[in-house]
Amino acid sequence: MDEYIVEMGNIYLDSGKGEEIFRNLNFSLKSGRTAIITGGSGSGKTSFVELIVGRKFVKSGSVEVFGENIISGRKRIINKVRRLIGGVGGIFELIPSFTISQNIAFPVIVTAKSNKYRYERTLKMLTEFSLINRAGDYPSDLTRVQKALVQYARASVANQPLIIIDEPSAGLDHSTSERIFKYLQDVSMSGLSMIILCSEKISYELPNSDYYEIKNGTLE
Amino acid sequence: MSRINHILRELGRSLYRNPGTVLGAVLSLAMLFLLFDLYWITSETSNRLYSDLLSDIRIEAFVNDGVDDIEIPMVTEKISKIKGIFAIGYISKDSARLVLQHMLGTDLLVDYNNKNPLPRSFVLEVDKKFLNSTDMDMISKEVASLPGIFDVKYSREWLVKAEQMKSVIIEVGLALGILILLTALISLINNIRLMTRARAVGFQQMRLLGASKIFLAFPFLLEGFFISGFAALIGWVSIFYGKEHVSLTQLNIVYPNLEEMVIYCVVAAVLGAISGYLGIRRLLK
Repeated sequence: MDEYIVEMGNIYLDSGKGEEIFRNLNFSLKSGRTAIITGGSGSGKTSFVELIVGRKFVKSGSVEVFGENIISGRKRIINKVRRLIGGVGGIFELIPSFTISQNIAFPVIVTAKSNKYRYERTLKMLTEFSLINRAGDYPSDLTRVQKALVQYARASVANQPLIIIDEPSAGLDHSTSERIFKYLQDVSMSGLSMIILCSEKISYELPNSDYYEIKNGTLE
Repeated sequence: MSRINHILRELGRSLYRNPGTVLGAVLSLAMLFLLFDLYWITSETSNRLYSDLLSDIRIEAFVNDGVDDIEIPMVTEKISKIKGIFAIGYISKDSARLVLQHMLGTDLLVDYNNKNPLPRSFVLEVDKKFLNSTDMDMISKEVASLPGIFDVKYSREWLVKAEQMKSVIIEVGLALGILILLTALISLINNIRLMTRARAVGFQQMRLLGASKIFLAFPFLLEGFFISGFAALIGWVSIFYGKEHVSLTQLNIVYPNLEEMVIYCVVAAVLGAISGYLGIRRLLK
């Protein structure tokens, strides 16, 4: 269980307009662990996620995800890494031209699994997240809460070993928040890894978790 | 399998959701291909006409009166050694008189029984490869330089004009071909862009989930492939429908054979696939 899922060393990143985002940031996430990272608005939470999924690249330092070096130009590697990551919130929006079931199934489709597997997993997720009645609808037809549930379903459908959640309870009502908390607990106990990013400290405890705070461009 | 399923479903969805754009693309491309087909037929037909006419061209070499009839086989042999000469015919004074009589319908030399003023001549057939004004000039010059030959003639002016006409047809065809190719490409690129505009936001999300560019582009490649291939087919179907209903038997028009048409449609379809990729390329960055 000592395998590292994410390793970031001596990261320097700026916005491209001279503003420094990260300065000597170090971070590592072991398999089966959950990292809960808090940080205020503009602290660089989104940039942190973008570095992991290869949407942004560091100026200096190194980013390794699933043992792969995330550097510009390694498109095939980046695609491979992205297929191992499930995402909720933030940059992980829903695909507006796809129905809910197509949105949920998409991570299975890109991993080239069989039709039977896609069908079974999608149906399971639709049922688990109480979305079966909305399977044929489009994201624009859903409420904010339902959209969040679709994102959770999509993040879990292909059993990706890493799930990144940006603001887990943003816009959720009390009962859905509790439901999501239960989901997060289940995931953290299942051996999967999670990175949870939120602007304020979350009010609940999760097993196998480490807490960090992004402050002045570094992780504390 | 789920990937292929997804690609086919996306293709079907795109065609189903944008019937107007698809129909517009198919019809406009069909018109362009029809234009090209008509040009192709015109070009091939005129080419055949040109070859038929060329095959009738002969070089006439007139024999000096000082040459004895016994020397004719020797001259014939010398002529046969010239490169490009395919066949040699000899026309004696009497044969020339018969030819003239046949041409005019009356024998003008009826009072010249003892002294036929018409010259003896050789009629030279030239190999197909040498049926052009440059080679014909060279052969004529060589024949004229032989002892016993006093004049050499062939339809030079006609041949030069025919060659000029052929080169104009080739140049126009090339320009038209390039123009049609570009118009077809641009038309299809714009149509694909129109159809994908609404889906551009989704591409970024799909990329984040690990979808490769080629996976996302594939439905649009197929879309371009089918639209363009279908439009090319419509072009030929229209031509053959016209052929059945309009009688142009006297012109001996050259139509493409099945193999040529299949190759043409496949090339058009591949062109469409390239347009599909070019139409989507910017959205995949």
